[in-house]
Amino acid sequence: MATSNQFDAIVVGSGMSGGWAAKELTEKGLKTLVLERGRNIRHVTDYTTALKDPWQLPHNNRVSTLADRAAQPIQSTLYLYDQSTKQHFVNDLQQPYLQAQPFNWFRGYQVGGRSLMWARHVFRYSDLDFEANQREGVGIDWPIRYADIQPWYEHVERFIGASGENSGLAQLPEQVLQPPFEMNALEKHIRQHMAAAFGGERKLICSATAVLSREHNGRGPCQGRNQCARGCPFSAYFSSNGVTLPAAAKTGNLTLQPDSIAHSLIYDEGKKRVTGVRVIDAQTRKTTEYSARVVFLCASALNSTALLLNSRSSRFPQGLGNDSGELGHNLMDHHNGGGATASYSGLLDRYYRGRRSTSMYIPRFRNVGKSEPGFKRGYGYEVYTSRGSWTRGIGSADFGSDFKNEITRPGQWNLYMEGYGETLPYHDNRMWLSDQKDSWGMPVIQMSMSYRDNERAMAKQMMDDAVEMMTAAKLENVKGFNNPVTPGSVIHEMGTARMGRDPKTSVLNAHNQVHSVPNVFVTDGSCMVSSPTQNPSLTYMALTARAANFAVEQLKRGEI
Amino acid sequence: MGHAALGQVMAAFAAEPRKATWLTADEMATLQALVDVILPATDSPAASAADTHYFIDLAIPACASPGAQKTFRAGLVSLSRFAGLKPAEQVSQLKARAAADMPLEYDQSFFKILKDYTLCGYFLSETGATKALAYERVPGGYQGDLPLAANQKAWAI
Repeated sequence: MATSNQFDAIVVGSGMSGGWAAKELTEKGLKTLVLERGRNIRHVTDYTTALKDPWQLPHNNRVSTLADRAAQPIQSTLYLYDQSTKQHFVNDLQQPYLQAQPFNWFRGYQVGGRSLMWARHVFRYSDLDFEANQREGVGIDWPIRYADIQPWYEHVERFIGASGENSGLAQLPEQVLQPPFEMNALEKHIRQHMAAAFGGERKLICSATAVLSREHNGRGPCQGRNQCARGCPFSAYFSSNGVTLPAAAKTGNLTLQPDSIAHSLIYDEGKKRVTGVRVIDAQTRKTTEYSARVVFLCASALNSTALLLNSRSSRFPQGLGNDSGELGHNLMDHHNGGGATASYSGLLDRYYRGRRSTSMYIPRFRNVGKSEPGFKRGYGYEVYTSRGSWTRGIGSADFGSDFKNEITRPGQWNLYMEGYGETLPYHDNRMWLSDQKDSWGMPVIQMSMSYRDNERAMAKQMMDDAVEMMTAAKLENVKGFNNPVTPGSVIHEMGTARMGRDPKTSVLNAHNQVHSVPNVFVTDGSCMVSSPTQNPSLTYMALTARAANFAVEQLKRGEI
Repeated sequence: MGHAALGQVMAAFAAEPRKATWLTADEMATLQALVDVILPATDSPAASAADTHYFIDLAIPACASPGAQKTFRAGLVSLSRFAGLKPAEQVSQLKARAAADMPLEYDQSFFKILKDYTLCGYFLSETGATKALAYERVPGGYQGDLPLAANQKAWAI
């Protein structure tokens, strides 16, 4: 518990962005309070399932039980959800939300947030992304370009430690990376055939991933368990718990306060500044006010925006910083419905050892350097391959000794790949506060989002291109798929408090600073102006570090 | 507690037959026979040696839909003479059942449910994962492209 209610800075949220805000602000000497709505999860100590074997977990770690599906009807549908990870996902009954249209909201309310369970891909955006809205007349222009964020990408990469392969493609800028994990025999085969067929325009590379292939600052390397979402006892992947929060704690300037639900920001009409945060104790339900000179919102896209919408005053009757009326609008997520499966009956004399927790990647090649008909923007693919396991026996009619001998040997090679497509910002894809209240008296969030013609046309091409590439790679049984996607399912919620140059059309400026309240910064996914195909967390971290350093400079100069 | 006393307690505990929680003794006998026809002893132990039938007795009521639970119990009842059949008869009866059940939806298909839980119960047990398959809790890293050894079992996970 905090012993005093006065701080230099308050950070709301302790996940991907909040951890970075905490680290940068405390290292610059600011006494910083980090508010986390969920329980504490101490690095390593509280990873209770990390080293359990399947048979030590309920029902051999079968995906979900009836009781799980009753308490976590949304969360339990996630691919990551099983008996070893379910404690890192919210109880949907205790944390309700309303879907005006179907929306899957996967959440981890705990210290570290979703940085504990994220998929760890870290790619940079390029000017192809930052210039896209302006070039095409879509939404509003990003107020920054690659040159503005490039040093901060580097700053973040050097600290978090990431492995992978630089593509050499302009649309996927060069990164600071440790050597990649090795490709398996099928991946090498695909890479070779794609190079021959597509001349370097489409290529298979090892994803840039915040998983250490080498020791880094006393962490890692990865031990090949591929059980990251349980929490890593070897600190081999980046999480807020294992990396940024410990760095912040080391300064002596950090106060980390779990079980603290931010209710609203306190606005001073005379000073035209926020003076603090009203907080509900999740256990006692008592309300306390904490004051600070600067506030960072890093509570996740939808929750940071909800906090602004819930911070009403006579100056801001529609929510703090909402002069533009854009707060809550332009909600985005990626879409990953298009892809392919395939198999390969060769290379049966090759196998692998260990469980690699990273993927292969085919960088975006559509609408790069030329404008193609059919749809705007593009997609990259995550590619996963393995040899058949015993699970191939589940769906067959066979049984007996021969069957057992067959399925206990490595099967043929299989491939699964899916595209991650950009979604355009649509004004009416949005979230707002409903009239319903949760058990803490907080307004329940409601969202309405749908994919449109551009995303549908893209998904079809995502499927067709996947089939074309795997056919060119000489794979067998190549089958395309184009499945409908429920928004939210990719867990890349973006937008709802977008950055921009003009306060009339945006909530935040080029430094993630609320236009009309300069001592409030919003640096999570809510700030996004478009949704470039690359996984967004690295950009949140870089924008957060950049904004925190800007805020410290402004504080020093007395401007906020 | 002295070593002798502890030994007596442990012996008594080991002698206590494991009790089913959901299925009847007759149903358990049928199930035990079924899992061993699906996964008999080879160079690794049979399914029942890994208590796969006890796994199923716990996991189905906890995890399967009410419809699948009903299908599963009815399936066991319909095969109540299975445990007493000769091995060749067991195989032909289960083959007939598989042929009849494979076209059905999972929740209506006794054979599909049985296969699913038998394989999960066995291959993710300590016996199945370490004796029938290869398992490393902490592999220590990743080697992507190795020659396949002649006796290499598939990885359990």
